[in-house]
Amino acid sequence: MFNQNNFYSSAFAKLQSINYPLLGLIITLFFVGLAALYSISNGDFNSWPLKHSQRFILGLIIFFLVIFFDLRLIFGYAYVIFFLSIISLVIIPFFGIESNGATRWINIAGISLQPSEFVKYTLILALAKYFHSISNDSGFIKTLIIPLIITVVPVFLVITQPDLGTALIILLGGISLFWISGLNYKYFIVGVFSILCSLPLLWQYLKDYQKDRVLTFFNPERDPLGNGYHIMQSKIALGSGGIFGKGYMEGTQSHLNFLPEMQTDFIFTMLGEEFGFIGTLLLLLIYAALIMISIRLALKSRSLFSKYLSLGVCNVFFIYVFVNIGMVTGLLPVVGVPLPFISYGGSSMLAVMFGFGLLMNCYINRNIIIEKTNY
Amino acid sequence: MKKSGRFIFQKYDTENLINRRAALVTIAKAGVFSVLVGRLAYLQIAENSNYKKLSDKNRITHRFLEPERGIIFDLQGRPMAINKQKYEIIIIKEETRDVEKSLVNLKSILPHANIDIEKILKEVNSRKNFIPVGIIDDLTWEDFSKINVNIHKLEGIYPQIGFKRYYTQGESHSHLIGYVSQISKNEEESNPLSKLSTAKVGKIGVEKAKDAILRGKLGNKNIEVNASGREIREIDRVNSVQGNYIQLTIDSELQKFCYERLKGLSGSVSVINVKNGEFYALASSPSYDPNIFSKSISNETWENLLSDKYKPLINKSISNQYPPGSTIKPFVALAALESGVSHKETFFCDGKHLIEDTSLESGYKTFHCWKKEGHGNVDMTKAIKVSCDVYFYQIARRIGINKIAEVCKRYGLGEKVFKSLYEEKSGVVPNKQWKLENLGSRWMVGETLSAGIGQGYFLTTAAQLSLALAQLINNGMRLSPKLIYDIETSNVYNERIIADPKYLKIIKNALDEATNAPGGTSYRSRIIGKYKMAGKTGTSQVRAISIKEREEGLIKNKDLPWEKRDHGLFIGYGPTTDPKYAVSVIVEHGGSGSGSAAPIASDIFKYLFEKKLNLKRNEIFNV
Repeated sequence: MFNQNNFYSSAFAKLQSINYPLLGLIITLFFVGLAALYSISNGDFNSWPLKHSQRFILGLIIFFLVIFFDLRLIFGYAYVIFFLSIISLVIIPFFGIESNGATRWINIAGISLQPSEFVKYTLILALAKYFHSISNDSGFIKTLIIPLIITVVPVFLVITQPDLGTALIILLGGISLFWISGLNYKYFIVGVFSILCSLPLLWQYLKDYQKDRVLTFFNPERDPLGNGYHIMQSKIALGSGGIFGKGYMEGTQSHLNFLPEMQTDFIFTMLGEEFGFIGTLLLLLIYAALIMISIRLALKSRSLFSKYLSLGVCNVFFIYVFVNIGMVTGLLPVVGVPLPFISYGGSSMLAVMFGFGLLMNCYINRNIIIEKTNY
Repeated sequence: MKKSGRFIFQKYDTENLINRRAALVTIAKAGVFSVLVGRLAYLQIAENSNYKKLSDKNRITHRFLEPERGIIFDLQGRPMAINKQKYEIIIIKEETRDVEKSLVNLKSILPHANIDIEKILKEVNSRKNFIPVGIIDDLTWEDFSKINVNIHKLEGIYPQIGFKRYYTQGESHSHLIGYVSQISKNEEESNPLSKLSTAKVGKIGVEKAKDAILRGKLGNKNIEVNASGREIREIDRVNSVQGNYIQLTIDSELQKFCYERLKGLSGSVSVINVKNGEFYALASSPSYDPNIFSKSISNETWENLLSDKYKPLINKSISNQYPPGSTIKPFVALAALESGVSHKETFFCDGKHLIEDTSLESGYKTFHCWKKEGHGNVDMTKAIKVSCDVYFYQIARRIGINKIAEVCKRYGLGEKVFKSLYEEKSGVVPNKQWKLENLGSRWMVGETLSAGIGQGYFLTTAAQLSLALAQLINNGMRLSPKLIYDIETSNVYNERIIADPKYLKIIKNALDEATNAPGGTSYRSRIIGKYKMAGKTGTSQVRAISIKEREEGLIKNKDLPWEKRDHGLFIGYGPTTDPKYAVSVIVEHGGSGSGSAAPIASDIFKYLFEKKLNLKRNEIFNV
């Protein structure tokens, strides 16, 4: 199945068959992020912008590494990769680094990584392989219960960190694959209904700060200086940006520190303040284009695994963008999700590049047919 | 491609199914993006102007600027109350999410500082949100820079440079000049500076009387601040305006001399120019250091000042009232002269004077002269010279209380000297009507006798006595008492004559004899030299002497507890040839006027004659 000679000799061919518009959009987004971070650090390239660039280069390396692997090899080790990522989640409570009351990071060779960021993609990988492998006439347990268990395990582990935002993205990303793989829509109706019914019960398991955030989301004025502060200041920054923005590096909300977390989760707000509606619209268009190209590439694959994997990566990416922008515009509760390629954050950057590496690999190897294996 | 008959998958081939599902997802994504775009359009276009305002409100903060207080100068132009720079910290409730947390952080940065978090919280909550409340009033430079370094941890807390009042003359002038302190609740309405909690207001003395002139005008500025409230840049500013200066008639060196001379005693001194009514000294003892009020004063210090039996907080020259005792006699004598009594008429003093009193068993009441064995035959001059009580009992009885009261009032007794000083007391000059109105009973003859020697209901202050004497020996010229040079009190003096100079000459001569002729009550305190002083002693009782005590022999003052000893008074003027100054000295429970008050007056006159014979205003350049 894996031919080493073939791997090396085809490296150049692989580089040639990359979809460059997609890579171009990724690099564009990186530069938008770089410009934003340069503004936030008040023109000091050596702080955030430099690290952001280093991370992006590291991300590109991962991207190409993933491309050069044989897709069948990735398929073969999908469960192993997933299992390793689950292990990394399990060991976090013992070896993890605590920050702001949550333990989300582990230290690998001096680099802090957030395993939950990678789990988003490894789960997609595992589910893609799983749905690829089961036969169409599989029973209820195989088609629903087992993938549900695969999904719920990382979600549960991330919730206990606690990190509700990432857990939700993992869950939604997994569920989106259920949908793509063709699960009867009635289950989704039943599922949504039962989640709505169990909300009061789930409520009790939320941490106080999470409850506060949700309550504040529904009524930001409830606590304008506490949890509502982030949302209020974010909306003020966006709104005061107007159509054309206050100008690059001229944002008062951001430069006078009224915006919280502006280099990470609220970076979109800062762009909105400085570049106005024109800027935010353009940025949304770039994201939309990236997602459209991803879907188009995904559907070109012949194997189900590739389609599932590519669409899954695309969905996770979309959820990222939607939750982040929804959050900073006050449409969604503040759950702490970065804006991919733009927010300052190493794990998120590397994980997204890993995801797009998988997607691009699927595209390059779109004609490979992967046989069903025993799962 | 297999077709599934099972219920899990829909009945499409897998390829088709995925495409259909992916298409649905794509449509959903497009929908979500439209919502996001719509939301952004709403926030950034429709609501733009609202959020723009909120953004400006965030970043622009209005700050008031404390004006510098006007300076108080003395007669010679020496500054007596000035302003010094100080470092202070304030907190603004509106600009912090958690006042207590900020204060706790502050405490951890300045562990040695005395920060009463509860007290400050109370203060913060009792004021409007935007009003800065002072936390530490007077900070060292080290602490001030520590705060500046840690400012990001101290939301709503700001270090700033302010002014503190400094009194160059210290305790010798504290009663007169007063002090400034925090604006209290009931002063907020009337004081525009109350928008600034760190601003101070005059609490007593000249600082209070002329606060409106001294306080100046608030300035303000709009500044751009960051989220932790740190000033980034100034947008615009209206400078504060310093308060106007004030010049007092007080000569600070003379005042200091008087205060030093009173040291160890409880009492007061008043020095006035008999020609123009300018007060050159108004000293009171014991005193306090007015500069302690620039910092927040501890409860213990305050309690000690309040409970001290020598009453250091009271300005005894204007706020403590005393029976004038024998110092009233020159005025009673004047009343007698005006009533037709000849100064040559003699009365016989055998040490006591009897009046009918049917309420007593014996049918009469005895009034004693201070000299038990009596003075024999006395005329007016001798009566003043030796301070014969029996003489004054008799003339008082003859001319009546209303005549005595009329003369005393004409000379300014029983009336506030300075209209502007809030803490001044007016004293009492009793007459028949006064008693009926205030005590609801008829006047008794015996009370006229008491009034004739300045006892009974009579109450005066040191300032009043000096003013009254000044008008008596300047040939009866009405004076406008003056303490502060400002627009309100012009330099025009009312020169109305208020007594016949012929009579005044007799009294002046008698006062001269009382000091400068052997046998006079203040002869021991006379000044030998080119310039002389003359004056009248007074001893005012603070207790009633019972008949029993009189029979058993009077207890000497020095054997009595301090509070029961007589007050010693002296009023004098000098130089006798061409009077320039009138001085009154009151020594509380000093025993006798001749023993306690006259020597002090004598020293003050010596000082005046030697160093201050021609005191004149050194006009400050008016800005």
